[in-house]
Amino acid sequence: MKHSRLASTILAMGLGLPGLALAAPFECPSRGGDIMFGQEANVNSLDQMTSSTISTRNIAMNIYETLMTRDENNRPILELAESMEESGDGLTYTFKLRPGITFHNGKPMTSADVAASFNRYNRIGLQRSTLDNVAGWDTPDPMTFVIRMKQPQPTFIEALSSFSVPIVVIPSEHENDDRQQLRTVGTGPFRLMEFVPGSHARLGRFDAYRPNTSFEQRTGFGGYRVACVDTVTFRIVTEASARVAGLETGALQAVEDVPTRSLDSLRRNTAITILPLQNWWIQIALPNTANPPVNNLNFRRAVQAALGMEDIMDAATDGNFRLNVGFQFPNQPSYTDAGKETYNINDQARARALLRESGYRNEPIVILTNRDYPPMYNAALVMQQQMRAIGINANLRVVDWPTSVQMSQRVNSDEWHFFHSGWGTQPALGALATMQFLVSPNAQYRPRDEVDDPEVLAAWNAMNNERTAEARQAAFATMQRMILERVYALPFGSLTKVQAVRSNVQGFVPFRIPRFSNVWVQR
Amino acid sequence: MSDATDAEGIAFKREHPGRAALRRLFRHKLFVTGLFLFGIVAIIAAAAPWITDVDPQRLSMRNKFLPPSETWIFGTDNFGRSLWSRVVWGAQLSMIIGASVVALNAVFGTLIGAAAGYFRRLDNALMRVNDALMAFPAILLAIAVTAVLGPSTLNVILALSVVYIPRTARIVRSSVIVLREMEYVQAAVAAGAGHWRILRHHILPNAMAPMIVQLSFLFAYAVLSEATLSFLGVGAVPPTPTWGNIMAEGRDSMREAPWIITIPGVMLMITVMGLNLLGDGLRDVLDPRLRIQQ
Amino acid sequence: MIGVAFRRLLSAIPVLFIVSLITFGLMRLIPGDPAAAIAGSGATPAEIERLRRDLNLDQPVLMQLVDYYQGLAQGNLGRSLLLGTGVFAATMERLPVTIGLSLYALVFTLLIGLASGIIAALRQNTWADQAAMMFAMIGISVPNFFLGLLMIILFAVHLGWLPSGGYVPFSQDPMGWLQSLAMPAFSLALLQAGLLARITRSSMLEVLRQDYIRTAKAKGLSQRKVVLKHALSNALIPIVTVVGIIVSLLMSGAVVTEALFSIPGMGQLLTQAVLSRDYPMVQGGLLLVTTFLVMVNIAVDVLYAVLDPRVRYE
Repeated sequence: MKHSRLASTILAMGLGLPGLALAAPFECPSRGGDIMFGQEANVNSLDQMTSSTISTRNIAMNIYETLMTRDENNRPILELAESMEESGDGLTYTFKLRPGITFHNGKPMTSADVAASFNRYNRIGLQRSTLDNVAGWDTPDPMTFVIRMKQPQPTFIEALSSFSVPIVVIPSEHENDDRQQLRTVGTGPFRLMEFVPGSHARLGRFDAYRPNTSFEQRTGFGGYRVACVDTVTFRIVTEASARVAGLETGALQAVEDVPTRSLDSLRRNTAITILPLQNWWIQIALPNTANPPVNNLNFRRAVQAALGMEDIMDAATDGNFRLNVGFQFPNQPSYTDAGKETYNINDQARARALLRESGYRNEPIVILTNRDYPPMYNAALVMQQQMRAIGINANLRVVDWPTSVQMSQRVNSDEWHFFHSGWGTQPALGALATMQFLVSPNAQYRPRDEVDDPEVLAAWNAMNNERTAEARQAAFATMQRMILERVYALPFGSLTKVQAVRSNVQGFVPFRIPRFSNVWVQR
Repeated sequence: MSDATDAEGIAFKREHPGRAALRRLFRHKLFVTGLFLFGIVAIIAAAAPWITDVDPQRLSMRNKFLPPSETWIFGTDNFGRSLWSRVVWGAQLSMIIGASVVALNAVFGTLIGAAAGYFRRLDNALMRVNDALMAFPAILLAIAVTAVLGPSTLNVILALSVVYIPRTARIVRSSVIVLREMEYVQAAVAAGAGHWRILRHHILPNAMAPMIVQLSFLFAYAVLSEATLSFLGVGAVPPTPTWGNIMAEGRDSMREAPWIITIPGVMLMITVMGLNLLGDGLRDVLDPRLRIQQ
Repeated sequence: MIGVAFRRLLSAIPVLFIVSLITFGLMRLIPGDPAAAIAGSGATPAEIERLRRDLNLDQPVLMQLVDYYQGLAQGNLGRSLLLGTGVFAATMERLPVTIGLSLYALVFTLLIGLASGIIAALRQNTWADQAAMMFAMIGISVPNFFLGLLMIILFAVHLGWLPSGGYVPFSQDPMGWLQSLAMPAFSLALLQAGLLARITRSSMLEVLRQDYIRTAKAKGLSQRKVVLKHALSNALIPIVTVVGIIVSLLMSGAVVTEALFSIPGMGQLLTQAVLSRDYPMVQGGLLLVTTFLVMVNIAVDVLYAVLDPRVRYE
């Protein structure tokens, strides 16, 4: 039996290394208490299989668990399984489930539940393309779950452990629940007590929770997890000033998305701890290369050369950002600065020269953006000003988010030239999840008739099919350089999202979603 | 309110109606106060190009969030734009939007209301559609219409007209129904005058008074609703400087930079109050049956 | 009276039919895609396309219209695309919140509006009258979202007296409910209170001038008795009408107030449904809300007929 390097890492972690087993696992320094979390965006449903919105994940990821997830550094780890073996031909993955796991309704979890979860996900899961290359799954015994592949896929584990729209494990009797209608019963450290869409969701400690003893500490979405507090209430507070005020008065114990303007006064308040979450998303604009004059490389290069990223990011984030080349972040192993010469050129003379070469004749250029996500709107506003400064007749088209998405997806659209977006979850998941946005059918630079740039496509295929991780990483660097040099995307930089807690709330480490296991209230 | 009370619209038709009304208007304290308040805003709006020196859309990231001072009369916003410029140009947009909605209402409200009130056959069909449009919560209907048309200043005007024309039409219709039965109208009908002539010469001039009163209040509603739509993010497209847009963008920093929402808010209040006082005065003088006694 | 109610109910049917047609038409004309709204910002175009097929959004409009009316005929309003729950169930969950808020605001409205209107009428042309009318004028001129923002800044941010947002169900904690809705209800009530104060004042003045009041006074009835028994009860007729109007205004105002204070009511549900193109929710929800408002108006008309026997409807 042959293991890929990735799989052996997981195995080692899953089985627990002898040295680490001696260290004591996490214990709550204090138990009990209630936490009220001020959440920015509304939640419509807690069906984690059919929604990719962050607001759903905020809550649902404290309730549900998966076979595999990601650790603090975004590496795949086992969660509901104690081991995973990949066959030598890469065609089967065999999972041994952790014993003694029960659902919130008291039912013990078996492989039948895992199979039912995969069935539901395959029927209506938002990212069921993850399972496109899967031939089927079997349950040889109650504690064993086997996934059979159609062809070997070196990147399958990376996709399976994705937390974007994870394949959460639900009781088999919920297999046929309708879209957005999933009854909220999982295996996580918290169970749902009350959910009022538009208002709040209250979670309580699940007393029969069995922590994953392969770990000593919480890591990423998994690890050794314990619910220390009695309840956590996610309250929707859309008004930023109201969230800050709630934190100051103690009505809220934790909040997300603190406006930069409020940080100074909060920093002076010793009762409050500020927790910046760097690299929340990549602020980005995508050109519509099907639409002249944007189909002209020199025109795109002129725009690229005109952009000053400090001003754009400053406006987008109110000053809380980091300049960042490309599509990954420096703390990630996959990060590369390939193509960095194209970033933040901010040279008007060069931009004007390129513009002349392109033969641009003052055609109106439409920057498509929305007001639902203020950073996108703000970035577009500054981009418009910088384009006008070199003599491009740039205009904003502000619509709401669903309209802008629909417009940006029309084939060969002549309605817009640059589309503003923010890539959050995908860059965090890794290079593969991110670069899918740059190949058909998802190619957001909108190549004419959806015919991909063949060299970009070749690099993408290499990213997927190379057998070694090193070769796949090299292919990613090539693809990033190509995308930047051919100006198929204009990534501006990375946005910091600030979370904050009352200082007596301890153990809270900012992550892509707020995690409330291993968090306690100091008395 | 019920139609039966619209009886005396013609009461003051007897002598020098225009001049007498004007004289009484300008002796009406509330009307004069309203005219003064509204006049200030209207003048600021009209003078926008001359009293502002900075483009309301020019960004200046170095100057963001400056409080009101000698250089920046109203301070700056989160993009370092001059709030004075934005509020003044916002006044102009508010006036344009309010006046356009009023004009569209005057034309279409009169047409529909007169048609429904005068031609009994049309009445039922027109009024059912009217009732249906009026049955919606006003803001929700406006949100839905702007969502259909797409956000822009023109579309806000259209959406607000769709919301308010039924209300204007209803008022015109009730006047027309009463006037239609008046003796002198019946006499004109007996004398063989055409419908158009009767409407134009005998009915509409006498139905004007309640409509003018309604239109002055409507101006206030239109200004207010436009601000509300912009504030909710479905009005005029940012960065267009409307008061609602300015306030919406100032929301996140209202703890630290409260001037961004208070200044346009107070301007909005002054405008609406001026128009309400103006409307009260007009009603007292032109439409005495609705008079709130002094 | 029963005749009035019956005739008004009958005339409501075509109105509601037109309402349903208008909502259906409006929603199909809106550009944008419910699938994109539901999938959220992280979804790829391919996922959105698949979701669109899953939701049957690729059917011809006429088929959708037929389906819609077939559903209506069976009392089925359909299922919200965004929430996944039935439209009727979602509405029944949210409408009580808005009605509760509106009633709360109505209490403020009646207290403030009637009191200042009555005082102004009884003390006509004194400083009290002028102060009350000045207050009413400010009330009808302050945009309610502006008032709401000012109250958040003052009471929640600076003084920390009241919660700045969030909703506590009455059934769970009545005191919490009163507290959490105090600011929204007040900001919603001020405009209506201004309207009511003005109407109350003028109808009271009119009644006070009538002969029978003078007679009552001449007969030696105390001022308080005259006001309460005769003047106010007669002034109630126009006031009831205004209260009917106020209920629909409160519904409209709730849209903004709920958004500002994060209250999970009907206004927020429908605004969000429009913005995310949740067709069934907008169609069904608006139909239910409008039906509710039409019923309130019918009730007002009937009440009007009871209070004033002279009223006859054509």
